[in-house]
Parts: sequence; C-alpha cells; structure tokens
Amino acid sequence: MDPKALLDHQFTVAAYALTWAIQLGYLIILGLRWRAQKRADARAHRRPR
Amino acid sequence: MKKFAIGFYALLTAALLAWGFYQALYAAPDEQTMHEAQRIFYYHVPSAMVAFLFFAISLAGSIGFLSLCRDRPEQALAADAWALAAAEVGVVFCSVVLVTGPLWGRRAWGVWWTWDPRLTTTLVLWLIYVSYLLLRRFAAGPQVRTLAAVLNIFGALDVPLVYMSNRWWRGAHPGPVFGGGADSGITDPAMLRAFAWNILAWLAWGLLLLVLRYQLERQQQKFAARQAQEAIEA
Repeated sequence: MDPKALLDHQFTVAAYALTWAIQLGYLIILGLRWRAQKRADARAHRRPR
Repeated sequence: MKKFAIGFYALLTAALLAWGFYQALYAAPDEQTMHEAQRIFYYHVPSAMVAFLFFAISLAGSIGFLSLCRDRPEQALAADAWALAAAEVGVVFCSVVLVTGPLWGRRAWGVWWTWDPRLTTTLVLWLIYVSYLLLRRFAAGPQVRTLAAVLNIFGALDVPLVYMSNRWWRGAHPGPVFGGGADSGITDPAMLRAFAWNILAWLAWGLLLLVLRYQLERQQQKFAARQAQEAIEA
C-alpha cells in the first residue's frame, strides 16, 4: 500500500474512532448520572420524615 | 410504553448509524483530490449541522425561560431544561467537529490548526457553550438560570458568524457544502447519499441524547424542589 494512502486511511480511522469515543463516552456519562439520580431518589424515599 | 418507545427509537437510530457508517466508508466513491481522507467529511459536516441545530434549540429554550419565568415558573423550568440539555448535546457534537476537523486539516493542509475564520469562530462557539455549562454546574443561587439564559442568547449570536465565516472572509477552510452558490456542493449522487444518511443518523442520535438529557434534568429539578420543600418543613 502506498504510504500516502496508508496515512489517509489511518487519519480517517482515527477521526471515526474519536467521533464514536466522544459520543459513546457522553452516553456513558449520561447513564452514570441517571443511575446516581435514581439512587438519590431512592435514598430520599427511604429517609424517615 | 414510554420505555418501549425510547428503546425502539434507540434501535432505529443504531440501524441508521450503522447504515450511515457503511455509506460513508464503503458505498461512497473515493474523492479525486483528497482520496480517503475526504471520508472524514461524512462525520464532520453532519456533526456541525446537528451542533448548530441544538444551539438553536438551546437559544429557544433560554428565550422561553426568560419570557415565562415570572408568570409560569413550571413551564419556565421545562424551557430551561431544554436549553441546558440542548447546549450540552450541542457541545458534544461541536467537540466532534473540533476533533475531526484538525485530523482532516493535517492531511489536506499539513497543519493541525490554523487561525482561519471558520476554525476560530467554531472554537469560540465551543468555548462560549463550555462556559455556559460550567456556569450551570458550579454557580449557585437563584439567579443562575437567568444569567445562564442571557449568556446563552449572546453565545448563540456566534452560530450565524460561524455559518457565514467562510462566505464573508477568505480562509483555508473549504467552501460551503450546502447552500453556497452555483459552483458549491457535491454533485456525485453516491456522495450526496452518504451525506444525507449520515445527517439523518447523527440527527436521530442527537435527538435521542437530547431527550434522555432533558428527562434527567427534569428529574433533577423535581428532586431539588422536593429537597427544598422538605428543608422548609423540617
């Protein structure tokens, strides 16, 4: 494979991989925040008034 | 029923993203000058379009909050939740733009970054919305929502500047892909298809994130209101 085409390929793969890493990373953060909120809700419900 | 609808929509979005990925990497033909590196555009341009749309939604939410906060506080809180959720998802997409752009630039121009008007205004836009999110995260007090809404309205003024920057000022950034005049845009139908599918797929993904983030914000608002009520009663 010619070196220029190989570099083009590597940069394209990097761009796609980083896009997915950012988007899925945000989804994971959102999931963790959901879970923390659910736990806080459950704790508040258990607490005697 | 609501969970089922969100699950079904998530599946549909995953299928669209997979199809968009196939279109971008395998179905679209090689561009003659940029060759494979041009395929970065199939993620870069739709991400920019979705970021602009979400900053516009965030602007609408902030205007809604400011206009409703005196008379209808409950609706104002919902508008504020839309503003915050859209700004956050918009920042995620804008981050993708700022990461994929330099990767393409390194291959096309030989440099990672240049202070071209389009690049500079996009970076400023990202910084404004990151500062909006930091304000929301770390500032406390009853006026935070109002201050954040005002910042959002002024920050959104940068969106048309970013959009018009490669029309108004000369720079290294390529010309507009869509709506740039007679000689602009893509003529190859297979490339257009790849663009269209990726715009649709990333828009669907962005809307999914937006709805999830909005629901989380509403839950947090209700939780905070309950806590405040309990503190008053105690």
